[in-house]
Amino acid sequence: MSESIADSIVFHGHLGELYRLAKEGKIKTGLQGSHTRPCKFWTATKILSGIKNSVILTHGPSGCAYGVKKTYKLTNCRNSGSMYEPVVSTNMDEEKVIYGGEKELKGAIMEVDRKYHPEIIFVATSCATGIIGDNVDAIVEKMRAGIHAKLMTIHCEGFAGEYRSGFDLVYRQLTKLMAPPSPDMKLKLADSVNIVGGKMGPERTEVDTDVKELVRMIEGIGARVNAVIAGNCSLEQIRRAPNVAVNCALCLDIGYAIGHAMLEEFGTPLNSTILPYGVSATEKWLQGAAKYLVMEESAAAFMSREYDAVRNEFEAAKKFLQGKIAIVEGHDAIKSLSIAHMLERDFGMRVVIYNFHPWSTEARETSIDYLLETGMDPEILITKGTLAFGKYESMRQTENELLSFIGGFSPENTVYFGSSLSFPHIPVVDLNAILNRPRFGYRGALKVAKCIQTALEYSFRPRSWLTKRIVFPQNAGFASAQSLTPKLGQDLPDCTVYAERRRGKCMMS
Amino acid sequence: MHDELIFENCDHSRDPVLGCALEGVASIVAGIQDVGMVIHSPQGCAATVAMAFDSHEIDFTRRKVACTRLFESDIIMGASEKLINLVKETDRTFKNKAIFVVGTCAADIIGENLEGLCRQIQPEVSAKLIPIVAGGFRGNIYDGMELGLKALLPLIKKSEIKKQKSVNIIAPQANLNPTWFADLKWVIDILYKMEVEVQAVLAHNTSLEELENAGTAAANILLSHDSGFAFAKRMRELHGIPLILADIPLPVGLKNTARWLKALGIYFDAEAQAEQLIKDGDDRVVDILRRRALMIIPRYRNCKIAISADATIGIGLVRLLFEELEMIPELILFRSQTPESRRILERELKGLGISPRVAFGVDGFQIQKALQDVEISAVIGSAWEKYMAEELGIKIAFDVLAPTNRDIYLDRAYFGYEGMLNMLEIVGNDWEKTFRSKEIDWEEFQSC
Repeated sequence: MSESIADSIVFHGHLGELYRLAKEGKIKTGLQGSHTRPCKFWTATKILSGIKNSVILTHGPSGCAYGVKKTYKLTNCRNSGSMYEPVVSTNMDEEKVIYGGEKELKGAIMEVDRKYHPEIIFVATSCATGIIGDNVDAIVEKMRAGIHAKLMTIHCEGFAGEYRSGFDLVYRQLTKLMAPPSPDMKLKLADSVNIVGGKMGPERTEVDTDVKELVRMIEGIGARVNAVIAGNCSLEQIRRAPNVAVNCALCLDIGYAIGHAMLEEFGTPLNSTILPYGVSATEKWLQGAAKYLVMEESAAAFMSREYDAVRNEFEAAKKFLQGKIAIVEGHDAIKSLSIAHMLERDFGMRVVIYNFHPWSTEARETSIDYLLETGMDPEILITKGTLAFGKYESMRQTENELLSFIGGFSPENTVYFGSSLSFPHIPVVDLNAILNRPRFGYRGALKVAKCIQTALEYSFRPRSWLTKRIVFPQNAGFASAQSLTPKLGQDLPDCTVYAERRRGKCMMS
Repeated sequence: MHDELIFENCDHSRDPVLGCALEGVASIVAGIQDVGMVIHSPQGCAATVAMAFDSHEIDFTRRKVACTRLFESDIIMGASEKLINLVKETDRTFKNKAIFVVGTCAADIIGENLEGLCRQIQPEVSAKLIPIVAGGFRGNIYDGMELGLKALLPLIKKSEIKKQKSVNIIAPQANLNPTWFADLKWVIDILYKMEVEVQAVLAHNTSLEELENAGTAAANILLSHDSGFAFAKRMRELHGIPLILADIPLPVGLKNTARWLKALGIYFDAEAQAEQLIKDGDDRVVDILRRRALMIIPRYRNCKIAISADATIGIGLVRLLFEELEMIPELILFRSQTPESRRILERELKGLGISPRVAFGVDGFQIQKALQDVEISAVIGSAWEKYMAEELGIKIAFDVLAPTNRDIYLDRAYFGYEGMLNMLEIVGNDWEKTFRSKEIDWEEFQSC
């Protein structure tokens, strides 16, 4: 390893060690003041946005509602052809902050019921109402009898928890909308699963999304999907959800909260594995589902058919990659761990996850536990740039650190799995591009194999001077890929075209 | 003269189509060069601030924003120490000339004494600290812009001497043109042609020095009818700088542009230049439309249309659509409500002799309801209106304003002559797309 990179290293070891150090408080896990993630309010409302015929009524100033609406609802209109959907606010002003907004909330609940006729109104609290102490629960309780819609309070003040807490909170709350399993309904849904951990709304119709691939595979083994919770699901689907044969987690961390709650509350089995990237993880995911569906045989036959369809290209990629080194960009913790799992298990590569922020050891605890339990302990490299204050300015630093780190590896033996906004001299495999969908399942494995193959075939072509200069403008000091985006731009697939902000320009991912 | 719409079930609930005061404050701060910003807030508010920086298209290398990321314990125990440390860290890291310390809802309600804290730590930091209390509950984005502008007042030096032919331009960002800075550029170019110097833009790409010397300008021009009136009034009271051209529509469409240019020419004794600009502009528009857009006459004549916009663009659109394109504005919906914009619109409608249905300060529900209830064939607005129109069966929706569904690579003004053509080009293309057949009987073609 070169001297310059050695000077920049904050941590170089294995995930298990990083995890232990974080738990013992020996490595700082907080985000810098220059780093912000969506608050609890945003993450809660992202899940709520995936429930049909519901209205989110935010008790607070209008800005919180508008931000969520512009980011999630307008995006759904643009990408997925959704109808215009409101996000309503009680529009707290100075006077209501001083004297309380309980009267406003009562009035707003009645108005929303009359204006939109939703099946359910989610009353979401904000920082302002959380601090002034409006008794939202009592108001909601009183109002229940007088309105047609169901009512549910979501206490998601922005200050009341970290990024992930909003997801977990809403998923747990959704179980309160579920009816306990009944023998009749269990019989009806014996061949059904829920996919849990979805969010925001309908899938794009013109894109082979990962969720659609999971649904296709479930149907391929002869089962049905009752609901993607909460990806455009109805209240009725949620109500009967505990009766399915098994809940399959879409994303281990996020799906786990609702899956675990349903397991405890209703005894609904949970199939929770790492994201099904690659053949090995996909098979685990399918076998986990099939076991509870009692469809092991049809699942085995399906898996065999699916593998046969990708066998040649997949095995060619495997042959090429075996024993090689994979540098995996670690900004999106779950994705990087899942890709690491695929590369190690499917392709027999040595994986180094680059710049996995220690913050993720807390935020993504479930995934890390799972990975370690299954005997995977990938190498992690964290350099100073990732932890520096003023991240955006420091990204030239992380890019340079990356180049310096990779400098010691030959392009013949090393592949970079990350954003094509980075410019290392080794082949770059960017799995985020819209044309590389789906990434889950066997078809996903084939996409990965093809991506790798294409990256290698064209590795003779120098990276575009144009795109490089777009990312790193001349004479722009610390300019960087991060400078293009408010947040982790490369985490955002280009099929997530956040409304107005243009591609990837949204920090509320 | 107009028939103001009244909506039921809207006294307590609002489906907002505007950001909060924090976004407005941030939008002003983002317009000043070489300053940092510390947001004293939970982390979600950083997204609101990011929207403001996005609207200026400020590259992240130039965003110097830090957030205290307040959590429950901070709210209960107070977070002054956290803020002090972050301000110092921001000062050390970014080395800006000034840092705006902005308190959002949470900090505002728990009563963090931002002014006191800034005074206390000022000796320990190099940057000048400027506190702004900007709880989102203090109003909408336009109210926030006023708060942000107000915070700039102490930075403007008093000057008895005024530069004769010079102006400040106020609130160019309070404009729903998705590339509003092109409108600003058009105005600056026009002023240059009339030999009028721009002292300071408040605020876009503005240096602290320009801001300090804003008191030397001979006049203020407000580029918005949605925000900035209160600030302009204070500028007149404190610095004796009059606000000009504020009682006529902004330069949207031929006649409005001509009127605006004439008024500018008269004020700055540049009438000949104004007349020349008007003649050249008119000729250019006529020549281009004659060659490329003859169809706008039969297409748009007597088409009943709704305008759902801000007052800045919307007021000008009324005359453009009615008088110049022979459309019939049946419904006018504005997102803001200032007494000044009401007065200007009222005068315009009276002058044109029309009495459409009108509503100010509308929210999403009200826009949708009005579009549903008033008989129209087309709507000019943003992506919101486009999707509403789709659902309501209104075939023609012109997606002209922010937030827009279009990818825009080149900046396009809506002000002035080219600006009118820019808008008409979008209108023309959206019209054309609307009527393209989508249900094709392919079998019919295959049998040929």
